[in-house]
Amino acid sequence: MSGQTAIRMSGLGGQGVVTAAHIIGSAAVIDGKNAVVNPFFGAEKRLAPAESYVRISTEEIWDTGEVLYPNIILIFHPDVILKGKSYTMPFFSGLRKGGVIVVNSERTITFEPDERSMLEEMGASVHFVPATSIAKNVGGTELAANMAMLGGLIGASEIVSMAAMEEALTERFAGTKKFVASGTTAALDDQIRKQYDKTEKLISSNMNVLRASAELVAGRGI
Amino acid sequence: MPDVELKPVSTEHLLRECQREEVFITGSEAVREAIRRANVDIAVAYPITPQSESMHLVGDLYAEGYIRDYFRGENEFAVMSEIAGAAMAGVRVFTATCGPGTLRAFENFPMWSGTRLPIVISFMTRGINSPLTIQPDTIEMGMLLDTGMIMLHAENAQDLYDMILMSFSVAERTSVHIPVGVFVDGFFVTHTRQKVKIVSEDVKLLPYDPTHSPVPTMDMETPPFRYMRDPFVMKSNYISYAAHASWQQEVMAAAERARPHIEAHLGSFVEQENPDAPIQVVACGTAVSQGREAVRMAREEGLEVGLVKIKVLRPAPREEIRRALAKAERIVIPEFNRTGWLAREIASMIPNNDRIAAGPRVFGGMTMPPEVIVDVIKGDVLVGV
Amino acid sequence: MSLEITRMNPHFADVMPQEYTDLVENGPFGRDFGARDLGSFKELFEEHPMCAGCNLSLAFRIIVASLPNPADTIMVGSTGCNSIAFPQLALHNVHSLFGNQNAIASGLKRGLALRFPDKVKDVVVVAGDGATADIGLDMTLHSWFRGEKFATVMFDNEIYANTGGQESGMTECGEIRNMAPTGKKFNKISVANLAIEAGCAYVAVVTTASPLKISKCFEKAVLVAREIGPTYVQIYTPCPTNLKLKSSESVSLAKERSKGTYQFREHVSPEAEEFLAARAEKTEEQVRVTSKDEEMHSA
Repeated sequence: MSGQTAIRMSGLGGQGVVTAAHIIGSAAVIDGKNAVVNPFFGAEKRLAPAESYVRISTEEIWDTGEVLYPNIILIFHPDVILKGKSYTMPFFSGLRKGGVIVVNSERTITFEPDERSMLEEMGASVHFVPATSIAKNVGGTELAANMAMLGGLIGASEIVSMAAMEEALTERFAGTKKFVASGTTAALDDQIRKQYDKTEKLISSNMNVLRASAELVAGRGI
Repeated sequence: MPDVELKPVSTEHLLRECQREEVFITGSEAVREAIRRANVDIAVAYPITPQSESMHLVGDLYAEGYIRDYFRGENEFAVMSEIAGAAMAGVRVFTATCGPGTLRAFENFPMWSGTRLPIVISFMTRGINSPLTIQPDTIEMGMLLDTGMIMLHAENAQDLYDMILMSFSVAERTSVHIPVGVFVDGFFVTHTRQKVKIVSEDVKLLPYDPTHSPVPTMDMETPPFRYMRDPFVMKSNYISYAAHASWQQEVMAAAERARPHIEAHLGSFVEQENPDAPIQVVACGTAVSQGREAVRMAREEGLEVGLVKIKVLRPAPREEIRRALAKAERIVIPEFNRTGWLAREIASMIPNNDRIAAGPRVFGGMTMPPEVIVDVIKGDVLVGV
Repeated sequence: MSLEITRMNPHFADVMPQEYTDLVENGPFGRDFGARDLGSFKELFEEHPMCAGCNLSLAFRIIVASLPNPADTIMVGSTGCNSIAFPQLALHNVHSLFGNQNAIASGLKRGLALRFPDKVKDVVVVAGDGATADIGLDMTLHSWFRGEKFATVMFDNEIYANTGGQESGMTECGEIRNMAPTGKKFNKISVANLAIEAGCAYVAVVTTASPLKISKCFEKAVLVAREIGPTYVQIYTPCPTNLKLKSSESVSLAKERSKGTYQFREHVSPEAEEFLAARAEKTEEQVRVTSKDEEMHSA
């Protein structure tokens, strides 16, 4: 586990939690690191809790399955925190000391006093990113919110390079090989392709979302 | 049709000599890449999570011309019979299922062995109802131990890829000719993206030759003759008992005869790290991966711990296990199921069973934190024998 | 199978069993024997150990004699009385599990089609009413939905005979049987109607009272299945043992039923009709040519 960065992403089915994990895992491999990516879903359903996990390391990675002790937590929807739409309660449980949390929310969420003191004790840095509006304003579709979340992650941790992200995105959406996470994920891929006339536009648009969000987080910690 | 003409090569050549390329793919995609090169004639599919993606991708191979016939059957019982019918006709077949699908199809598996069908099937293991679950759990493996089939357990997508490709040559030997099940933990491997080294796309396995079958292929190409004057089925006489008993023993003997052919590809049935350590973690499948991490953590804390990875469950790795654990003082057996079938297996193979800590056991779908295995290694958490 | 394969090796002729010599010298392979010729050639199904008066074995004997291409026919059976009959059959045949006969046949037919693209390999399923209409109904129907090209024959004795006379889905409503101690509560399943609805190109319902009708319908079923799509033949085969009849009475029962509750039915799809008509024309032409030849010879 030493030298390993473990990421837990929690969101709602259809938000691209699984896709985001696959893209960042691919980017890490392009950067020359090892990565293991696990999506975890119950019966596949939109808006049901969805989680995915990424382990990145310069060493061999053996363990697999859900990440119980993450360094980084991405929360794709405020409902994960506010309505408990999550496999993990509270959402920060198991976070390692000095960990990073990125939350997709238009406004700062005020935590309960006990949660706040636990987060302080962990030395966690929490970033709120309006990922959905960045996706809408910069990318022209809410479906790019997962890219805005990855942008937030890169802004907070620089875990993968922007160049690798661009290559991973191209591989995913413009590659000749059909990408497989699950039957339903493949259907959602086709849907996002429909939002853009050209694949190049899809990739450049997503990269713009990613950069906008990364800059926002890098410049403003909470 | 495939873009390139695929060159038929021996399994040994394909797995050992062909150049390999490292790709970042899921376990399901590793199944596709194995079957792309396996020269399969017929595959039959039926959806069940977490197996479905694998057989979707095999379907894509059919659309691309790598497989000659493919369809979705009506349920797993039927699918396993459809696959059996095709194997009886003398063609190479492949299918996959898991958990509830395995149990629905169950009656077929001993029938396959008894009919001496060289079927290769992959099980992407999943929990069994009730209550309803779609999550990873290896409980079905304990139930399949006595179906007569050869059972291999993949730790990761790389094992899955290599084990599927090698299985055809083991199953199709005249002296073996029984089914091979390649087991892999659902989700933990099927849906996990990881690095896998695959061979180039311009080769495929040599075709299956049904004339080497030890029992007649059902094709009316060998002289027809009544099988028996007085059928022994459902008769109560000595000859009927003897016929059934000797046939069943012959199926068991066929599995024994598979040993050298499995070893030719996998080396030993078990793989051991730190064999001299007094504490040994024994596991198969994803539990091995979790065990590796636990062993690394325990050694960082100064504990002397070894690891035994079991790759083959049938034929049973009796001698291998006995040797690997001869000096062990404490044996920790982490498992992804409720029943602890692996601990029972190990206990039946070695003396001094009070050495065994039969856990931790995780079931219901959660991962097994390496920290929990470390707790059992240290004896902080007690589990039963 | 090439007939070369069955030819006797002269070096082995003195040690081969009479059984084999008879099959080679006087069997139906490559010869045009049919049900009409029973008794004049070495049959592929004989010396069965079934009950005296068994109508299943009678129907079995007729259909095996009526196979249009026995040298390249593989038969699939199921569990029940027919699994006692099958080992007596000198054709490649399969007993696998109870109820999976149409699934086995689906894989078998497709596998043979791949291996022998230029050769006719007929697959014929023969199973009882329990196997076809109860435990294996899903596989029966789905093989028809998929359009699998083989013939399905049901031997309908309206009970589970081999296990001791229990009610089946094909038992008539009200009949008292084992496991239906107060009488069957629902109607006999119309598998023939299901077959038509499922897309079978040829469907026939016959009884052992008309052996030649069985022969004709069965031959059509095999030929249509080979060329067009799935076919179904249902044969009433009363069981003297479980119906507590004298062995001589079972065919009389079939006769009686064929006039009442088990009447002959035939459904031929337009495509099958066209195919059968074209075939009949061809056969007639052949007959004409042959008789002309004979005239010329005699002249």
